This record gives sequence, C-alpha cells and structure tokens, in this order.
Amino acid sequence: MENCELEYGAAARLKEGVLDPDLCSGCGACVGFCPYIKSYNERVAIIHNCQICDGVCYRICPRGFTQYTSLRREVFGAVDFDPVLGVNKEIYFARAGEEEMRSCGQYGGVVTALSAFALKDGFIDSILMTGGNLKGTKPVLVSSTSGVAKCAGSKYTAAPTLSLFQEAIKNGYQKIGVVGRPCQVTASRKMQQAPEINGQRISLVIGLFCMGAFSPELYTLVKEKGLENCDRMDIPKDVLFSSSGEDTIIPYDEMRQFIRNACLSCYDPLSELADVSVGSTEYDPGWNALIIRTTKGAALVEQACANGYIEINPYPSELLPLLKRAVFRKKKRVLGRVDFTYLNLPAPEREYFLSTGDDD
Amino acid sequence: MGWKDAIEGKPGDLVLLNGNEAIARGAYEAGVRYASSYPGSPSSEITETLSRVPASDLYAEWSVNEIVSLEGATAASFAGLRAMCTMKADGLNVAFDFLTSMNLGGCKGGLVLTVADDPQGHSSVKEYDSRYLAKSAMVPVLEPSTVKEAREMAIKAFDISEQIKGPVLLRSVTRVSHSRGLVRLGALAQERKKAEFPVGQRFLTKTLFHMKARDRLIQAAIIFEECKFNYTEGPDRADTVIFCCGTSLLYAREAINILGLQGKIKLVKIGTTFPLPERFILSNLQGVKNVIFAEEIRSFIEEGVMLIYARHNIGNIRFYGKISGDISGVRGPFCGEMNPDIIIKAIARVKRIQYEAPGYSPETIVEFSTMLPPREYAMCPGCPHRASFWAVKTAIAVDSRDCIVAGDIGCYCLGAWDTGYNLFDSLHCMGAGPGIASGLSKLEKFGLKRPTLTIVGDSTFYHAVIPGLINGRYSGSDFLCIVLDNSVTAMTGHQPHPGSGISNHGRSTTAIPIEEIVRGLGIPCAITDPFENDKTAETISSTLREPGVKVLILRRECALVAARKHQHKKQRVYVDQSLCRGESCGCGRFCTSVWGCPGNIWDPVAGKAVIDEAVCAGCGVCATLCPAGAIIAEEVDK
Repeated sequence: MENCELEYGAAARLKEGVLDPDLCSGCGACVGFCPYIKSYNERVAIIHNCQICDGVCYRICPRGFTQYTSLRREVFGAVDFDPVLGVNKEIYFARAGEEEMRSCGQYGGVVTALSAFALKDGFIDSILMTGGNLKGTKPVLVSSTSGVAKCAGSKYTAAPTLSLFQEAIKNGYQKIGVVGRPCQVTASRKMQQAPEINGQRISLVIGLFCMGAFSPELYTLVKEKGLENCDRMDIPKDVLFSSSGEDTIIPYDEMRQFIRNACLSCYDPLSELADVSVGSTEYDPGWNALIIRTTKGAALVEQACANGYIEINPYPSELLPLLKRAVFRKKKRVLGRVDFTYLNLPAPEREYFLSTGDDD
Repeated sequence: MGWKDAIEGKPGDLVLLNGNEAIARGAYEAGVRYASSYPGSPSSEITETLSRVPASDLYAEWSVNEIVSLEGATAASFAGLRAMCTMKADGLNVAFDFLTSMNLGGCKGGLVLTVADDPQGHSSVKEYDSRYLAKSAMVPVLEPSTVKEAREMAIKAFDISEQIKGPVLLRSVTRVSHSRGLVRLGALAQERKKAEFPVGQRFLTKTLFHMKARDRLIQAAIIFEECKFNYTEGPDRADTVIFCCGTSLLYAREAINILGLQGKIKLVKIGTTFPLPERFILSNLQGVKNVIFAEEIRSFIEEGVMLIYARHNIGNIRFYGKISGDISGVRGPFCGEMNPDIIIKAIARVKRIQYEAPGYSPETIVEFSTMLPPREYAMCPGCPHRASFWAVKTAIAVDSRDCIVAGDIGCYCLGAWDTGYNLFDSLHCMGAGPGIASGLSKLEKFGLKRPTLTIVGDSTFYHAVIPGLINGRYSGSDFLCIVLDNSVTAMTGHQPHPGSGISNHGRSTTAIPIEEIVRGLGIPCAITDPFENDKTAETISSTLREPGVKVLILRRECALVAARKHQHKKQRVYVDQSLCRGESCGCGRFCTSVWGCPGNIWDPVAGKAVIDEAVCAGCGVCATLCPAGAIIAEEVDK
C-alpha cells in the first residue's frame, strides 16, 4: 500500500473534508475495519493518521467524494431515473402482516417484518440494525428473527450501525443485510465496491426515509426533561414523546438546533440507493410508505407478501404530489448550500431543481 | 555486595557497595533508629537497605511524601534518637516548609537529611542544586566524593547534628549514589538509647529562634575548619589550584593525570560545602594566580570562595568556573553533568596547553550519530500505562473538543513523549496536574473552550493529588482526573504505598483504597481496567462530558510486579500471519509502528507482524486491538 504525504492520505482527507467541517453523518462505515477510527456516543474521530493514500475509509464515506451517476449504475443498471424520488419500480402503502409486529414497529412495522422475513427466507444470514432507546442507541448485529424484533421502532439520532460490519465478517456471515439511514445506504453501496473489506457480502439494503438525525445532545435534553423512560418518540409535526399513553410535546423549532450539521446538506431523504425504502406515510400512522427500487427489493416484497409477512395497498394518488413536493424542496435547498460538494450530480439533474419552482 | 553486606557485614570486612548502601551502612553503624523516605531516584536504595535492618533495631517507613517523612524522622530526634530522612532533590521542596521551621527550634538526637541530586536529570525532570535550599534553610551540608566517604560522612553527620542540635544535610549525587566502591565496614554503635520525651521539653518555632539557627551555623563553621573531609592533594604550593567537591574530585584528579600535571596543580577538596571552612580556604588562596572550580550543577563553592577572596587582601587571582563560562559542557555552564573533559579544557586554557581529546572528532561523532536509528524512551512490554494512554488518546480524539491534558510525575511522564503518544500538554511536579486542570477549567468565561483532563499516578495520588481534588471540588472546577493505578510506586523500584496494604518490611498493613478517599470527598469515581481498552476509552469519553470534578481509576498491576509475582506468562501471544494486514489499509502496521510495545516486532521477510516471545509479557492487549484479529492470545498452563 502506497504511503502519502499527510495532506493526500485518506485519513487526512476524511478529517479535513468530512470530520473537521462537521459533515460526518455518523454512519459508522469507516469504523470497525481500521484501528485508527473510533466512535463513541455517536461521535467519530481519527486517532492517528496512517498516511495510507487510497484508504478505504475515505472511499466508502458517504460524505467523501461520490460519483453518484456511476454508483446508481452499479446498483440499478441503466434505468429510467426520477430526479425527485430516485429509481423506483412501485410505491405502496404497506404494513406488517401480524398485529404483534405492527405494534412494536414505529408505524406499520414493515422494516421489522421485511428484515425478519429476509433472515428467515435466506435472503440474508445476518443484518445490521439499530437498537437502544431514549437513553442512547447502539448498533446491533442480528442473526435471528427475535433479535430483529428487539430493534423495532425508529431512532432519531445517528447510530454508527455500519461499524459492526467487520464484526459480521469476523463471524463468517456471507449475506449481510443493512437497515440504515440514507447516508448508510449510500455507504453500503460504496462498501460493496471495496473488496478489501469484503463489502460484496452486503446482500440487502433496506433504506429508511430520513429528514435528518439529531446529535447525541438529544439524550441530554431528554434526560433533563425526565423523558428518558418514554417508550416512543415520533415527529408527526412537533416532537412527541409517549409513555404509556401520556404524551409530551416539544415544539420542533426548539429541537431544530439538535439536527446534525451533516444532515442539512443531505440530498437523499428517501434512501435512493436502497433495494427498498421505507418511511412514514405522513397520513396514516398504521401504515408505512414503501418504495421498491431494485429487482432484489421487488422479489423480497413479493415473497414477504406471499408469506403473509407484509400486506400492501396502492399508494393513494392524491398523496404522491405531497411526498414529491417535500423531497423536491429538501433537494433544492441542499443544492444551494456551499458545503454540498461531495456528490457529483449530472448537470441536467442539478439544472432540473434549480430551474423549477417550488410549486411546479 | 549489595544490601546483605551493608546490613549483615562484619566490622573490618571490605565490601563492594553502592553509594546509597554505604550511606545506609554509615547510618546503621551510627545507631540510626528511625529511617523514613519518599522514594525518588537516585536516593531510593538508602531506605530500601535500611528496611532490611531487623525491626527491633530500626523503624523504617516509606512515607506518603517528603514532608511527613521529615516530620516523622524529626519526631524521633526530638525523643533523642538518631534519625535519617532521605529524598531526591525535588523532595526537598516538599519538605522545605517543615525544614525551615524545625531548624529554628532545633532538635536533639542526630538528624541527617540525605538529599540525592540528579545532575543531568538522568531520572528526574529537573536537575537542581539542593545546596542552595540548605543554605536558605540554614542547614549545614556535607558532600561526599566517593562511596567510601559517603559511609564516613553519614556517621559524622549524626555527630555534628548532635553537637549543634540541628539537622545536617548530606548531599549525594547520582554518580555517588549509583556507583560502587570498596568500603571497609566499621562496628555498629553499642549504645542503645531509649526514646524519651521529657515533660517540659519543647520544640517550638519562633522568629527569635532565627538567631539560634545562625549560631548553629557559626558553630558548624568552627567544626568544619578542623574537619578531615576538607584536604588538599598535590604540591603544597602551586600557582593553579582546583577547588572541587563531590565527584568532581575524581574528575579533577583524572584531568591532572591525563595532562601530566601532577606536582604542578594543587587540588583543594571541600567536603563541608556549607558553611565553607573560611580559614582553610584562605590558606589555599595565598600566593595563587589561577583558581578553577569543579562542582556539580551550580556555582555554589565558586560563589563562596569568591566572596571570601573579596573580603581579604590576597592579591590578583583569576577565577575559572561556571560564572566565567570556563567550566562548561555541551549544554553550556550550569547545565548538565560534570566530567573530566570539562576540567581538562579549563586547565588547558589556564595553562595554555594544546590538548587534543583522543577519539573521534566532534564532526565525525555528529556524522556517526546520524547513522544511528532514533531511540525513544520505552515503556515495558505489558505496561498498563501504554494501554491507558491509548485509551485516553482515543477518547480525546472522539471527544473532538481538543481536551488539554495536564500530566504529572511518575513512569507515566512518558505520556509527554512518543512512547505515550505525546499526550501531555503540561508536565511539572508531583500533584501539579490537578491544580493546573482546576485552574484551566475556570477560564471558560474568558474564552478558553477546551475541556481539561489530568493524569496522575497512584503513589502521586497519596503524595500530592488529594489537596488539588479538594480544591477542585470546593471551587467548582470542571475536570477529569485519571489515576493510573499500578499498585506500587513503580518508577523508583516498586516501593509499596498506602493503597498497596504492604509495609516497608513486606508485612501486610491497612490499605487505604483511592476510591474510598475520592468518594469520601464527594467526587464521583469509577474504576476500569485499561486492558479492556475499548471499554476504558468509552468510559473516559462519556465521563469527560459529565460536569464537575470526576475521578477515573485505571487499575492494572505494573507488568514487572505481575511478572515477579506470577513467574510465568498467563498467555502465549502470537501472530497468525495469514490474517495479518501488514502495511495494508485497515492496519498500516498498527502494532509495530503505532502501538509501540517492544514485544510487537516486524518480520521484514514476510512483510507481516510477529511477536518477540522472549520479550512479550503475555498481556494480550495487542490481540484485542489488532483490527484483523491476527494476534492471538492463548491461555497456557503453568
């Protein structure tokens, strides 16, 4: 491996280009493989500059320089592309088949159901998920359906879930699934291109809708307000904490300051590179929105339906423009930011957002 | 050889001792009954040796610090017994408040304060001259030149102390304390004094007693005029004289011999360096043209002799010393250790001799030195400090607020340099870390945004850290104090401390755990094992974010103590080279180029890591840190 002067090394680029300007999304991809990168309390740091030139750490970082077009081609081949929603085959309302799974999930329990089915049916032999509660999150390597259920429910901070990927490799897993935020989905796709870390063993990527993650200061606030034992947090509009039926509401404006800086320049609220993307419907809390993006994603959903793990309904046509508008606005906003330099977008795509008004 | 001869040797035996053992033997022969010390190189072997004296003859103690040590020894003197208190130069500062107080009132039984200076700082962070402190405290000073004289002076020091009813300071230096020489043993004192503290006997400090201290010095000066430790060598009359003391006597002799100037230069050896024997000195200044001074560290006798010269009409003399710049080593005058070459250069200048030092030219030496691989200080294989430092480095990096690290004094000083990953931002004296951390934490309102952490040792904790913690909590400071607890005073030779629950004599005694003290102060205290490195780093990382003063004890026995106790490796550690990533991404030689344990070495043929099993202590920490899982630690049978 070629060694470089400090300023050209991968670690230095990661530090100067991502960590120092506070653009790290905390995905955890760079953690776990390398002895010099660690993460505690959802903060990632480089402990020592190894001076290795083309290091994996920078290459797989979703906030490192990313050739978006070629990455899309790797995932989808040449297909029609929707600049707002990303490549998609179908969009549904979906929910878990069993009431039990629905009740432990955030909305319809689709992520839990799909993960459990993928494990059971052999799509994957293990899956990286996020466990924890309002005291803190923790990445979990899951290889059983009971383990999947323990990770049900949304977490609103940036757990470095991908940091456990090497743990999965060391345990000999061959077909590893990932449930992740959009940044983690991008990282997973970049990891698949890195044979030195056995990235090709990532076999299924379930992406989440994400409008931004909170920094770990959220837990300090939650503790200060005595909410750390609440069993559910949600952001329908304002921030809602529920504890056995009792709700506490904190205005979103009060919480805005805790959004990670990295999330403000995120171009991808819907996990565009995932096999399937799952999120809130913003309409019916008993259901999820489900976007099928790849052939593999389509096969998973089809078989999960056939086996009763999930049930699907058409996405209501009157709601689709609302989703599109929200995503459009987010992308357009991000394109105007000076720190949005990590994605190499095709010029027509950039032009599309810049030349189109909000209400078109 | 060693402590056995010093303690069990018979009168008349000729034995090989080091300077510290000789001082201990002298004290033993003089009938010392109380010996106390805080360990510090190069003085530690004195109390080590005296600890071997049967407990019926002597009370020996490793005290928590130098001031309580001197207080205890002085108490024995108050009760009429002979007592010796030993410390390194830095320790004299700690004891100084008491020394300057007790010396006014004086004492009774012979009280000898042995202070070992460390010119060049071989095992210290500073080199300084304790004679100036003795002068300031008005305590007479004896300074031995050889191991043999160290024993003689130790005995004489007790006599002088009892004559003047005040303490006497015996100043050793590293090259006396740690060199070996033949010593003819004398008989042990037969008299067995009883400890008595008669009703009505009082030892008080009063400003008026300043006069008592002054008069004691006058009395000492009279005794010193007739003292056999001051003598001359060479011709009776010579135009050039070298005034020397301590080991510089030997260097001066050697210099004269090398230059073939025997019979041409007179050596004046001063053994009683404070107060100086004025008449003896004057008699050796008469008719002299050139005076050269040879002494360790600063210009103590140089200043004294020049003052005597200035007060008398002796004629023209030129002085060559540190003040004139003529006595100067590679670090320049006043800094670094004396050696024969320094004196040869000065004599050559005075005598206008062309002298070419044998051996390589300075240019060649510089050329050769660039060919040597750079060598850093190294911590031992299996040293828990390395693991602790890696955890601290990791936690600080992840914390990302550029935490300031205030260091402290112990083996873990190495935290200031490469071996300790250059962690320390400050390093001073024992106990300085918490004070500095406390002070820095008050500066937030003036713009300082960096959090603060201090790293102290376990022995240091008892010695000087507790007041800093109390002050920190009392004043509302905000810092994390990490105590590296390896269960002994490791740097000075594994002396026990109050946490170890073992006395000087190796008997078990009440242990006072650090955590009980800390919690007693109302300060939160957690304990982790630095060998569980990831957990430790995570704990440091989260504790750093807590408000107020926090203590985290990183507890793991010193590798040397563990090796001595267990006598075998608990684990066999080896590298599976098929898994080793070597120089590739995801490692880049972590174990051999960053981690820094001498047990991790590089196999240049395979381009992979390997374990030097002869050196490896079997701790297995590198196995937990190897990112590829290529280092394997296996349990082995006894």
